[in-house]
Amino acid sequence: MAGKYIYDEAAVVEQLHDPNSARDAFGKVIEHYSQALYWQIRRMVFDHDDASDILQNTFIKAWTNIDNFRGDAKLSTWLHKIAINESITFINKKKAQNNIPLDSDDSFLAKTLESDPWFDGDATQAKLQRAIATLPEKQRLVFNMRYYDEMKYEDMSEILGTSVGALKASYHHAIKKIESFFTDND
Amino acid sequence: MKQEESDILKQIGKESGFKVPENFFAEINQKICDSLPEVEITKVSERPTLWTRIRPYAYMAAMFAGIWCMMKVFNGLTESYKTELTAKEIAAGMSNESNAEEFIMNSSVSDMDIIMSYEDSLYYDNVIIDTSNSGNNEELL
Repeated sequence: MAGKYIYDEAAVVEQLHDPNSARDAFGKVIEHYSQALYWQIRRMVFDHDDASDILQNTFIKAWTNIDNFRGDAKLSTWLHKIAINESITFINKKKAQNNIPLDSDDSFLAKTLESDPWFDGDATQAKLQRAIATLPEKQRLVFNMRYYDEMKYEDMSEILGTSVGALKASYHHAIKKIESFFTDND
Repeated sequence: MKQEESDILKQIGKESGFKVPENFFAEINQKICDSLPEVEITKVSERPTLWTRIRPYAYMAAMFAGIWCMMKVFNGLTESYKTELTAKEIAAGMSNESNAEEFIMNSSVSDMDIIMSYEDSLYYDNVIIDTSNSGNNEELL
C-alpha cells in the first residue's frame, strides 16, 4: 500500500476485472480516492466517526459490486455516486431515529459542531457550516462540490445527473440562501 | 468562479474547520483493505460480448423479416395471377373489332396467338348467341 506510484486509471480498471489482480488494484483505488470521498461525506454528515463509517461502507459496496462496473463511466463518478447515496441513506436513518421529518433540512446535524473534537473552525466557519446545513440536500452537495472541491460543473453533472445550467442555478441559489442566513443571524 | 462568490464567502475562505486524526487516511485505507470481503470477479474476456447478448434477438428479427418477405413475394404472385385474363375474357374482348385491332397493333404476342384468340372469340360468341339467339349461329360461323 505504501510508497509512491503513478495512478493510471485505465490500467487499474483493467486490473479490477482480472480476478488475480483485482484486490491489489482496488487497494490503489482506495488510496487514490479515499480523501476526496471522505471530505465529500464529511461535509454532508459533519461528524468524523460517521464520515469514517460511511467511507468504509462506500468502498465495501463498490468492491462487492465491482463486477457490475464495466468502465462505461469514470471510476471517480461511480464512487462519488455511491458515497452520496450512502451519505443520504445515513442522514435519512438519523432523521428517523430523531423523529425528524424526512423532508426537513439537515440543520440538526450541525448543532453539535462546536463541541465536536474534530472541528477546530472559528465562529464564522461554524456559522457557515450551519448555513450550509439549512440548504436542501442537493443544493448542499452542489455548493460543497463547487465551493470546497472546486469541481467542474461538467463532472458534477455526471455525478448528480443534472444539467450544467441547473447546477449553476442551484449554486447561485445556495449562495443567496447562505447570504440571507448570515444577514438574518447577525 | 470569482464572480459567483459573495463577499461573505470571500471573507470566510475555503477552510471548513473540519480536521481528522493524525495518519487517519493511511489507517482507514488499511482498515478498509483488510475488511474487504471475498468476491467473485468475472474476467472481462469471459464476459458475454454485446453481440453474444443481442444475437438471439437479431436472429429472431431476421427470421420475422424473412417470413415477411416471403409473404410479400407470395402475395405479389397471387396478385399477378389474378390480373391474368381468362381465355373467355380475351375472347370477349377480341369479338369487338376496335379492341381486337388495338390489341393486335400494340401487343407483342405472336400471330398464332392472335389467330387462336380470334377463333376463340368466334367460338364463345357462338356459345353465347347459341343460348340467346340460335338463329344467327351459322351466319357467324
